Amino acid sequence: MLRNNIRSYGRVLLAATALFVLSALTAEPARALTCQVTPDNIGISLIYNGATLTITGESTPGDDLIVKVSSTQYTDVHLKYKGKASGIFWMKLGTMEFKNVPNVYMLYSTGPLNNMMGAEARAANQIGYDAIRANATMERSDHAEVGPEWFDQFLKFKQKEKLYSITEGTVTRNGNQFKLEAHWPFQAPPETYNVQVLAVRNGQVVEQATAPITVAQVGMVKKLSGLAFNNAAVYGIMAIVIAMVAGFAVGAIFKKGGGSH
Amino acid sequence: MFMYLPIALTSVNYLLVTGLGLFVGLLSGLFGVGGGFLMTPLLMMIGIPPTIAAATDANQIVAASASGTLAHWRLGNVDVKMGIYLLIGGFIGGAAGVQVIKVLRASGGADFLIKMTYVVMLGLVGSFMFVESLHALRKNKAGKDSAAPAKKSGGFLSKLPMQTEFVKSGVTHSALVPLALGVFVGVLAAIMGVGGGFLMVPVMIYMLRMPMHVVVGTSLFQIMFTCTEVTFLQSYSNHTVDFLLALLLLIGSVFGAQIGTIFGRKLKGDQLKILLSLIVLAVTVKIILELVMEPSLLLAYAGGH
Repeated sequence: MLRNNIRSYGRVLLAATALFVLSALTAEPARALTCQVTPDNIGISLIYNGATLTITGESTPGDDLIVKVSSTQYTDVHLKYKGKASGIFWMKLGTMEFKNVPNVYMLYSTGPLNNMMGAEARAANQIGYDAIRANATMERSDHAEVGPEWFDQFLKFKQKEKLYSITEGTVTRNGNQFKLEAHWPFQAPPETYNVQVLAVRNGQVVEQATAPITVAQVGMVKKLSGLAFNNAAVYGIMAIVIAMVAGFAVGAIFKKGGGSH
Repeated sequence: MFMYLPIALTSVNYLLVTGLGLFVGLLSGLFGVGGGFLMTPLLMMIGIPPTIAAATDANQIVAASASGTLAHWRLGNVDVKMGIYLLIGGFIGGAAGVQVIKVLRASGGADFLIKMTYVVMLGLVGSFMFVESLHALRKNKAGKDSAAPAKKSGGFLSKLPMQTEFVKSGVTHSALVPLALGVFVGVLAAIMGVGGGFLMVPVMIYMLRMPMHVVVGTSLFQIMFTCTEVTFLQSYSNHTVDFLLALLLLIGSVFGAQIGTIFGRKLKGDQLKILLSLIVLAVTVKIILELVMEPSLLLAYAGGH
């Protein structure tokens, strides 16, 4: 058993060395794809209004690059859908569930995605909205059939919330260096996200590099949020007492200032 | 300029939010309404999730109504006795209304009914107040003194037991009358998910026959308690009160309520009534337009109307 393991490790090591030597010998000065994100820790403080991400790294010159910033895991998104109630009024009619979709999905590239790779390769690497659509399923609370137009509505909703975006041609290259400056929306909830850089050559992804971004509440925001969820009674009483005191205090100030008003 | 809200999970321009607070607080001091029917949609427009907008507004109204109540108290406009009767009725009605909603929701199609009730009530209350106060203003212009309305509930109501005098309002009713009206407004407010100020004010004017200025002060006194209860319950069970958002709003609204009270003193009761009716009618028209026109987004986060 142990011997088998050692043997298989040995094989992997050998293959890796061969690959390394091979890549070193090719004519193109191939660079291992790298990726750094600054900042990689985003703190949500009281004055937080989103952030600017700078994503840089090295890549093989000539490769097309795609940068995907997304939720680490796909999840189910629950939303209310609107329709005409009794044929006259537009109202929320029920819940619609979009299953197996990323909560946040932002795509940047060196050029038009459709020219870089075919539909199959895009689907395999989850590049573009059609790739997300292909994996997603939709369900309505009244169990009626959900038409594909509702996924368009979902994309529209996510884009308006700034949680989905595709901006082609935003990744710039200078020799073997690439750079992307991207706006991080304040709407993205605190969690860990994944930055993935894909190098595309001849319509295929040839290399990948990833880096995490952690978004977390800090300071007063974290304290208040913690109090609201873990100590709800104290939080509620504090909110009421401060509101009352503020109301009566301003009332008292006006009496003094206003004289015989 | 921007502040991040820990519960709403969104960033807002704090000057804009404080400005909203000032505006709605002004209406509070003027008319004795909490202004939730205006504030909640305004907050949703700047990106606050509906459930958080409604719960946080209640927290803010605690401050605005405390400020307004104190201002009106000094002017002798708060009928504490009447306010307490209405409050007791309101609490009972609110609890009953929550049960009614549960039954309605279980039977399906409730939201449509609720929305219809809301629009019809707003429309009726607004139209009635508008016509009535326009009539009263015309009479005043013709040179006649506006005859004081009958201060005693007539006929059937005067035969009820527990007749008691409400000194501040200058009226005599059976204690059962404000209690029952409180229950009525409480049930409707709970079903519609609103504070009910816009219903309570006309009820006090037309059914309890209280003078307009005492109506405003007493309504604010009552709203202060109702919103305290709502704030606590929302914080405790739903975690939907964003205290920072409430703080930004109340910085504006406590001053707004004072300014509103000062303005209110310079206006006659009928002028106040006609202004309030116009606002209620404008909100009705806005809600009807929203219901009839196709929304630009057919998906939304859960909660709210």
